[in-house]
Amino acid sequence: MRFVFATGLTVGLLIAGLASADPPAPPTPAPPPAAAPAPPQLAPGEILAKMEAGNNASADQTLNERLTVVEVDGTRRIYEFTFQQKGSKRLVEFTSGESKGMSVLVEDRDTVYVYLPGFRKVRRVATSAMNQPIVGSDLSNEDMATTSWAQTYDVSLDKEDDASWWLALTPKRGVVTSYGKIVHRVEKSHFLQQETHWFNAAGTEVKSLVASQPTSTDGVYRFRLAVFSDPRTGHRSELETTSARYNQGLSDDVFTLRQLQWGK
Amino acid sequence: MGKVARARRAWPLPRGAAVALLVLAPATAEAAPAWIDKLELSGYLQSDIRFDIDNSRGPVPGQGYTFSLNRNDFDLKLKFTPHPDVIAVVEPRVRYYGFVSSQTLAVADLWNASDVSPFTLYMDQAYVAVKGVPSKWIDLKAGRMQVTWGSVDVFSPNDNISSRDLSDPLDYTRKVPNEMVEIDAYPTSRLTLNAIWIPIFQPSWLPPSAPLAYSVQKNAQGCLTQFPAPPLTVAQNGQLEKLFTAVNPCALNIPDPSVTTYLPSNKLTDMQVGLRARMKLGDLDVGVNYYYGRFGFPVAYDATVLVSPGAPKTTINYSAEVVYPRMHVVGADFNYSSHWLGDVGVVGDLAVIVPEPVSFALGIYENGSQLLQLSNQNVPGKAFVKGAVGLERTFGSALYVDALFIHGFFDEFNDVYGLHNYVSLTPELHMLRDRVKLRLASILDLTDPSYVFYPQLTWNPLPSVELMIGAFVLGGDLQPKNPLDYASRSKFGQPAAGRDEAISRVTVTW
Repeated sequence: MRFVFATGLTVGLLIAGLASADPPAPPTPAPPPAAAPAPPQLAPGEILAKMEAGNNASADQTLNERLTVVEVDGTRRIYEFTFQQKGSKRLVEFTSGESKGMSVLVEDRDTVYVYLPGFRKVRRVATSAMNQPIVGSDLSNEDMATTSWAQTYDVSLDKEDDASWWLALTPKRGVVTSYGKIVHRVEKSHFLQQETHWFNAAGTEVKSLVASQPTSTDGVYRFRLAVFSDPRTGHRSELETTSARYNQGLSDDVFTLRQLQWGK
Repeated sequence: MGKVARARRAWPLPRGAAVALLVLAPATAEAAPAWIDKLELSGYLQSDIRFDIDNSRGPVPGQGYTFSLNRNDFDLKLKFTPHPDVIAVVEPRVRYYGFVSSQTLAVADLWNASDVSPFTLYMDQAYVAVKGVPSKWIDLKAGRMQVTWGSVDVFSPNDNISSRDLSDPLDYTRKVPNEMVEIDAYPTSRLTLNAIWIPIFQPSWLPPSAPLAYSVQKNAQGCLTQFPAPPLTVAQNGQLEKLFTAVNPCALNIPDPSVTTYLPSNKLTDMQVGLRARMKLGDLDVGVNYYYGRFGFPVAYDATVLVSPGAPKTTINYSAEVVYPRMHVVGADFNYSSHWLGDVGVVGDLAVIVPEPVSFALGIYENGSQLLQLSNQNVPGKAFVKGAVGLERTFGSALYVDALFIHGFFDEFNDVYGLHNYVSLTPELHMLRDRVKLRLASILDLTDPSYVFYPQLTWNPLPSVELMIGAFVLGGDLQPKNPLDYASRSKFGQPAAGRDEAISRVTVTW
């Protein structure tokens, strides 16, 4: 008998790109840095690459996150976790809720380890668990483990207005994902990922993300709040960065099995 | 994380201290947050109520439909990090039982909290870990720990470092903490090495129903109906039976057998060691290990039957001794998951066990003279194999299924009882966005056959709060098919396996 790995794995590129940076003062809404000159005509792949580069602008980051799951009837459940990232590797530790003590190490999209307090051991997570929701929220493990869309999806320009590009992403041949299509709204002045919409294979929108409350600290310009929702049901999850530290010189040793079980 | 605030001290100060205080005040103000950051607190409170839902599996038929457990656990885990590379972990647990110690408590003892409200204090962990000593890629841990090895959960035959705590069979993942020293080496990111030294052996803790494996069966008139077969051959047990068939079973007074465990000595020769290497090879995680120590469950070693003729009844005292045989275990385990395999996770454990042979001897004496002497090889000295292999898969976001094939249960040691084959199947259905889970755990003994069915419905109404109702149901023959055959006892059907129970549990974690 095994205990099902039912809760979340990690917080990935989405959070990496949506967090604030504000050590030690609390994050404050900040005017956006001066907009870059109007960009020249860019290929969709270049826009996506710039957006991902912006998401991963810092060499490393440690974020304290508050995840509020809002049920359709308005009931709210709040979970907290710490998220550390360096490059494509992440270490997540739940610090409240029934998953407290559970730690997750994401080495890459298909290599995820979890420390389970109940068994007092580290276990590799089966890839089929990647589409499970995190603590009943609108974020799935796959969403969180995604390190780069460009590696997994082909990209094209869906539409464009004065302020934004709308990029349409479809899975590359041979790549297994839970989504048939993803649409990003990238705001033009800073290549920020402002909205994302996920569609299943049948073309139905199953999830959306709207980011807000831009903050700027230590030269890192990010959104502080991200609201994930299911357009079909109205269920939503609010992901708020309560504190953040960037470019602290995190060692590679933080993102190892050694650290995952340290002091457990 | 929960933090422990430092208690504020309010000692009166001598007059001269005021100046020093002024000088030190800034430093003190700086130190307080630092200390708080070094402490981390977590734990849980769990309240458990159980009710026997069978009327036939107790020591005597008819002892069912009563509350069997009313228990509260308070667990407190404290982590202290005086230095980034040093951590001390202490995890005490207080367990309160809602029953008084006896239904015939003396009035004079009603003041005594340990009788009126019995409790037990456990220390689940108490260790210190140091990172990067003596080399940058080596960690040292020493103290009271629980260690789990193997890829397969619960049923790994390579999981021998910490014995199992089955004092509550429904809480089957618990381990017996023990004092040990562990060295973990990480020479590369793909390779982990572990070495463990355990000076003193700690046996597994057994369920309260375990003594029923040795109890004699009597009818309502108190007459002997069945004696538990010792681990002899069927022919030898036939000899034993003949000795008593001539006697009127109602003229026999046979108290329940007394069984004594013989624990290993505290000498260096009885210490245990374990070595393990784990590697990451693409989608495959693989480990190899070696363990030298003791089997954590008792194995019957010898027995003495003393017959004391008398009037009106002949008294027969049966006493037995059990030991924890030495063993060498060489094992391997793996964990694999890949898209090309349909995202199915595959886990497996295999262990070759070389046991210390155990001979069982039984002597029957009447008034000091030997009536019969029998012996049998209970555990042959030859190597045997235990293993488990399993598949797991998540279907959509709502259904998780785990299936295992097990050769050799964790309490089986290739003695006269043998090694059974089992199938474990556990579907788990997630509803209402993970707030409600229905888990249907089951194990079927393919050799008996007998089974365990353990359905659980859990609800997380709020973060950190879990409510669970469930049942633990055992099936199979209550009595052995052949009373003379030690191996014919049903694994989960025999009364020693426990009771059918309904469960209600509330857990709050922090």
